[in-house]
Amino acid sequence: MLQELFEGLLLILRFDTLLMTGVGLVLGILVGSLPGFTTVMAMAVLLPISFFLDPLVGIPFLVGVYKGGIYGGSIPAILVGIPGTGASVATTFDGPALAKKGKSRKALDMALYASVFGDATSSILTIFLIGPIALIAMRIGPPELAVVLALSMAIIATTASGSLAKGMVMLAFGMFLSLVGQDPIGAVNRFTFDIFAVQAGIDLLPMLIGLFAIPEILLAVESRISAAAKVNKPEGDPLSWQELKRSRRTILRSTFLGGAIGAIPGVGQVVAAFMGYAAAQKAAPNPETFGKGDLDGIAAPEAANNAVNGPTMVPLLTLGIPGDNITAILLGAFVAQGLRPGPQLFADQGPIVYALLGSMVIACLLLLVLGWIMIPVFARVVAIPRAYLVPLTLIFAVAGTYVYRSNPMDLVFLVVFGLFGYGARKLKFDVTPLVMGFILAPPLEYAIGQTLLLSQGDMFNYIVNERPVTLALLALIPVLLFFVFRNHLFAGAKGRPGAKPGARNVPTKGG
Amino acid sequence: MKLLSSICKSIFASAFAVSALTVSALAEYPEKPVTMIIPLGAGGSHDLNARVISSILPSYLGQPVIVKLMPGASGQTGTAAAANAAADGYTILFTHNFIDQLQQHVSKLPYDPNEDFVTVARTNYAAPSVIVKKDSEFSDIDSILGYAKENPGKLRFGHSGNWGAFMVPGAMLFSKAGARPTLVPHKGGGPALQALLAGDVDVSMAFNSVIDSQAENVKPLVSVSPNTTIEGVPTTDEAGIPDVGEMGIMHRVVLAPAGVPEEALAKLRTAFAEMQEDKTYKRMLGKLGENTEFMDGEAYDAVRLKQSEEYGNLVRNLASN
Repeated sequence: MLQELFEGLLLILRFDTLLMTGVGLVLGILVGSLPGFTTVMAMAVLLPISFFLDPLVGIPFLVGVYKGGIYGGSIPAILVGIPGTGASVATTFDGPALAKKGKSRKALDMALYASVFGDATSSILTIFLIGPIALIAMRIGPPELAVVLALSMAIIATTASGSLAKGMVMLAFGMFLSLVGQDPIGAVNRFTFDIFAVQAGIDLLPMLIGLFAIPEILLAVESRISAAAKVNKPEGDPLSWQELKRSRRTILRSTFLGGAIGAIPGVGQVVAAFMGYAAAQKAAPNPETFGKGDLDGIAAPEAANNAVNGPTMVPLLTLGIPGDNITAILLGAFVAQGLRPGPQLFADQGPIVYALLGSMVIACLLLLVLGWIMIPVFARVVAIPRAYLVPLTLIFAVAGTYVYRSNPMDLVFLVVFGLFGYGARKLKFDVTPLVMGFILAPPLEYAIGQTLLLSQGDMFNYIVNERPVTLALLALIPVLLFFVFRNHLFAGAKGRPGAKPGARNVPTKGG
Repeated sequence: MKLLSSICKSIFASAFAVSALTVSALAEYPEKPVTMIIPLGAGGSHDLNARVISSILPSYLGQPVIVKLMPGASGQTGTAAAANAAADGYTILFTHNFIDQLQQHVSKLPYDPNEDFVTVARTNYAAPSVIVKKDSEFSDIDSILGYAKENPGKLRFGHSGNWGAFMVPGAMLFSKAGARPTLVPHKGGGPALQALLAGDVDVSMAFNSVIDSQAENVKPLVSVSPNTTIEGVPTTDEAGIPDVGEMGIMHRVVLAPAGVPEEALAKLRTAFAEMQEDKTYKRMLGKLGENTEFMDGEAYDAVRLKQSEEYGNLVRNLASN
């Protein structure tokens, strides 16, 4: 294997491969940093270009777009508090707070280093553990996924700030909102009141932009009277080696957490980011600084969500099965080049497979260099005078929502969620549990629905007799919950301590 | 805002329509870019087909083609948008027969597919086959149908999503044979295939390109197709299951809102027909593992009416139990 790996690396260390990977990365970063443009969209649009390139240039090019897009999402999350994707929601906990302290440059640097480390490490681990990861992926079916998702939800719920009751209300409301539209198992309309425009359901993107961007804009307008608000914070100094070193445990922890989550098909980056954040906060000596602008609060979710990327490629490469849209597009790129991923490709053309895995690592390293060059430019965004930045944010919020899927109804959702988010801020409700419930409930419902169908009405016997992995996972729940809630039990429930609901992201005077 | 979004879209579209920049200055249709709505999400096979079409068609139409993805509500959102668009030939819909003709039987629609649309072209079709794991106890379609008939609900049929390209032909096939499997939905063909390989479900469906690449893991039992697609595998007709072959394949079709001016429709139909001879078009679709079995608009309009009737029967049949 080592020899094949070495041959593979030699195949991609050529100028045109590196150049196109770099082009892909820049495109990806630009697309990822614009709310409303998704990485999947960019990859689908650029896919035909790869048809005309050599496989070892075209596929690394798409890998570049992919990596750049995932990283790019952290930029608006930090600078203006708008998460472009679910995966960067956790980055908005500390990102904007840091920007307001005049540390946006440090936050962007930290996001870059944590992303690159998480991604590169998980890609390297994937190269060496590809066999075992493939075995795990095959063992995870709907019942196992349901248990993992339910467990994640419970753990993440403990990180919500403010009162537990308020958090639970928001969580339940988010779960309810996800039910609106067509039932994914029975294909029956739910809570649509026979209004056609609601049949498509509520989409995550208008909700995210509404909940996060609009209140921010309204609050900025409100604080206009404060003369000091006109003064802008500069982007600040770059991240120092000392600061990076201080977050090394967090980055490592999140990388392994994210990698483990990536090995379970169907869980994904959103859960990884939240889990990384939760774990970092629990382990921190000073958890009260989380949510107020802690650099660890950037490092944790960013390392975790990028570490998911490596293992998610495994089912595609080992079995030829794409687990999501991104891997489906990559499969398209492979097939168009006459390469059919699967066991056969591994046996016949091992070096090519390793070359592609290697290109993921190289894309990460290139991302580091390109990020270095581009961050100073992005960081200047905070230097834009408020009077221009606020309307600009509004334009991007509205345009991004519409561009996403050209559905006018999404604009209605944007406004409704914007006002809702503003009210929630004022009433000191944290909107994060709502987003979490909204994101996690549909896959959970789907997995439970599938399990019910698979068990053919006899859930108990099905799980006991046919799903040993589910049984093992179920047995783990009490143990894990004990560790998670231990702090709560003995130290009093604090959640994200110190992060007073509403305090986060609110423009402070003089900021 | 609208300007911004259309600028962004034009940039993406024009990147692939460079050849079309030599815009004809004649004051006849088409005078401006044509928008092609896809009622499905990014990255799916329709999106990929559309990227090929939008990069080749402009050279035959004389205007760029802008792809607009409008997913949601099993394809109804995008279809409704196309139905409401002005019937001037500048908005067309790239859809498939299950969204087009089946949704009307399972949902209340704000449009009538057969009244509100006419066919421009069927660009190609995809024929799925019934597959089982290589080591499955079932060796032919009869043994599966027999088992499913004797043990109602016991057989687990994994498909790629409700009223989609695998569920409809699968359900038609089983219900014609009087068998009732448990239908288990998955989020796309990938997860459905994984469920089959992991043994979660007993039987599933796949397109040929997947069957080729999984030759070591799966065996095809019958092809839902009017003519042989895999050597040595019978079609549904040959296996004694009539009508499914014609009605169960997925047709990729381009529709235009009804009432579109005659000359615009004629121009669109001609452009699509001419594109079939394009070498690059053929090569790119071939690379995607798609055929280029073209059918002209008038011929396909007749197929649509038959589909409507057949799918109506299927839905009623499934609902009656």
